[in-house]
Amino acid sequence: MSKKKAQGTNLLYQLIGEARGYDDVIIMGRGDPDFDTPAHIVAAAKNAMINHHADSTPPEGLLALREAIAARVKRVNNIDVDPATEVVVTNGGQEALFLMVLAVLAPGDELIVPEPNYNTYADSLAFAGGVKVEVQTYAEDDFRADPADVRAAISDKTRALLLVSPNNPAASVISPADMREMLDIAIANDLMILADDIYDLFVYDEFEHVSPASMPGGKERALTLNALSKAYSMTGWRLGWIVGPADLMARVRELKAAISGGTSVISQHAGIAALTGPQDAVEMMAEAYRRRRRLVLDALDAMGIKYGLPQGGQFVFADIGFTGMDSGEVAQRILSEQHVLAYPGSAFSKDRKDYLRMTFLQPEDQLIEGLERMKVAMANIVAEG
Amino acid sequence: MASKTKAEILAGHEANTALNARSLAPAPRHAKDLGADGMFSPLDERIIAAASEALEAGQTHYVDVPGIAPLRSEIADSLNRQTGARYEPGNIIITAGLQESRFLSIQEIGEDFENIGVPAVIHPGVRKALGVRARKVISLPVDAERGYLPSVQAIAEAVAGGCRLLYLESPSRLTGAAYTSEEVAAIAQALGDAGAAAIWDGGCGPWVEGGCGSLAATEESPKQITTIGEAVPGMGLASWFIGYIAAPEDQIPAMQSQKQIMAICTSTAAQFAALEATKLFEEARGLRLGQLAQFKSGLTKTAASQNIAVIAGDALNIIALRASEAASARLREAGYEFADGASFGAPGVIRLNVNAAASAALQALS
Repeated sequence: MSKKKAQGTNLLYQLIGEARGYDDVIIMGRGDPDFDTPAHIVAAAKNAMINHHADSTPPEGLLALREAIAARVKRVNNIDVDPATEVVVTNGGQEALFLMVLAVLAPGDELIVPEPNYNTYADSLAFAGGVKVEVQTYAEDDFRADPADVRAAISDKTRALLLVSPNNPAASVISPADMREMLDIAIANDLMILADDIYDLFVYDEFEHVSPASMPGGKERALTLNALSKAYSMTGWRLGWIVGPADLMARVRELKAAISGGTSVISQHAGIAALTGPQDAVEMMAEAYRRRRRLVLDALDAMGIKYGLPQGGQFVFADIGFTGMDSGEVAQRILSEQHVLAYPGSAFSKDRKDYLRMTFLQPEDQLIEGLERMKVAMANIVAEG
Repeated sequence: MASKTKAEILAGHEANTALNARSLAPAPRHAKDLGADGMFSPLDERIIAAASEALEAGQTHYVDVPGIAPLRSEIADSLNRQTGARYEPGNIIITAGLQESRFLSIQEIGEDFENIGVPAVIHPGVRKALGVRARKVISLPVDAERGYLPSVQAIAEAVAGGCRLLYLESPSRLTGAAYTSEEVAAIAQALGDAGAAAIWDGGCGPWVEGGCGSLAATEESPKQITTIGEAVPGMGLASWFIGYIAAPEDQIPAMQSQKQIMAICTSTAAQFAALEATKLFEEARGLRLGQLAQFKSGLTKTAASQNIAVIAGDALNIIALRASEAASARLREAGYEFADGASFGAPGVIRLNVNAAASAALQALS
């Protein structure tokens, strides 16, 4: 597997590499918010460089940060965890994801994955020797994962169920009723749950985020990841976490010790400031994403491009099947001709060659310009037949 | 009702003795903490200024998976200067610390080989990294009289027996013993004859007076030897978790992919801090070597006067001693942290960080 790995990811990096060569490029691909990290968090990091740079940290992270995380998951997600034994700090959500998969899946074990999904899950699962069992979702249902389809996908090798809400790249949110049903399925079939809450603060309109670990019967079988990257615009700090039952978290801790040993103390102090300090910047960014989402959806409507309604997250998964071309080729054309970077659906799932993922993580004027350029590129593609 | 699935998962982990191998638990840092092999160096204000400036200028976002280009370039230059290797910036991946370097290199390069030869006495982080995904390990016998390094003959025999990938530390992370230039040349010969590869932890190399031989220096261009270590050791960056891998070009794409899968990239602030640290490193290293030589010489004399056996080691940042269980217990009771050789596979040995506080620890030990 190793030498053939991450083909979807590699495709994205090829596009990113090309995009870097254009001075006027508009990035609507990578999930990196345009906002810089709020000033009080940077100030806390600077203070840590002066006063805490020589502190050591256990693999699971500084207790003060674990306490802040425990308070956060109680406040936002209604999950009760003991910071001493049920929290592990990670190098961003990505390491959390990797650890979570390795903690639960052994070679030959099956993980049920609603598709499309973030490509790294498949890569991590392949590293663990696990098997992905896909449950398809569809744009006409706003990419809702149907519990009945999940139930039908279970075999005697199924070990766990992956629930990413809001989903990346489809931006669907699992409703409380569906989440309860998913959890009941997991309990009835004795499955673990891997829950990815990284976009939990970005939910739109009437939709509601719920963590499976907050529901009765959920905590003892769910590992839940999150990170500061998206909510606090801290992608470069590489700071995330996993919470879960103490017995499984002890294994997560051992894996963390084996894989990276610990997490930057400076980032951890910045994380404490983020979680315990003023939250106005998070509110401001969330409001900006709400406006931008509307702007992008209106533009796609005007172009006649269909999409599953983004109920949460920071992106739209748009159907570009009308072009008659593979999304990889479309993304390449849009980038080469119009200098706009959007991610091809084929990078997320082999069955999503008709989709593009477009983020709304750029200022509004950039988004407007980017969408105009995309319109031109699409028109050229269609005109060529 | 108890979950059978969870019980099976936990049982699987429990059975993984390599993953559960004892590690060197970091303790809250204090004056009696002698457990680390790094240095308790102050963080130069120029490093703080550079990292702060980068953050305030908006360097708070993802950076390239293998690391920021100027840091990769500086790491390559520094390695080449210190060891005589010939790495290019494109051979370098910046990691989230030495343990990630171990894990990534062992798991990725290990994909190409049926087994990996590992010294019987090695840093416990190596065994843990090996334990995450089962690898067939060939244990290389070590020579206690040679600082617990595997002899050249033991390495040659392993290679002759079919082992085509070796993991080696020089200097040893337990004793500081390093291979001589002649030994390095002989190891290179044994590997070269069989087309074997090696992962070489040379992280303690900068603390050997006059330099330390490196396998990478024996190649005209990087083909079989991967070098790992802390990015800029001794500059107060230990708790920032920043390391490097210098690997042959054909290993880089897969390693970069795996780095992306594991962590996307390494902390941006840490990379800018390390970049500034590279500019100050050579001067600081010269000063530290002088201090360390003085401390280690004093410790060796004190140990001799108290009949404590010192295990010869070339690296000046650590000192390894023979110590009975009772003596180790006394040291612990006196409040000292130290690295227990049992975690490395060498019971009866302890390792102390060489600094001003270590002398008092010897009193407690005796």
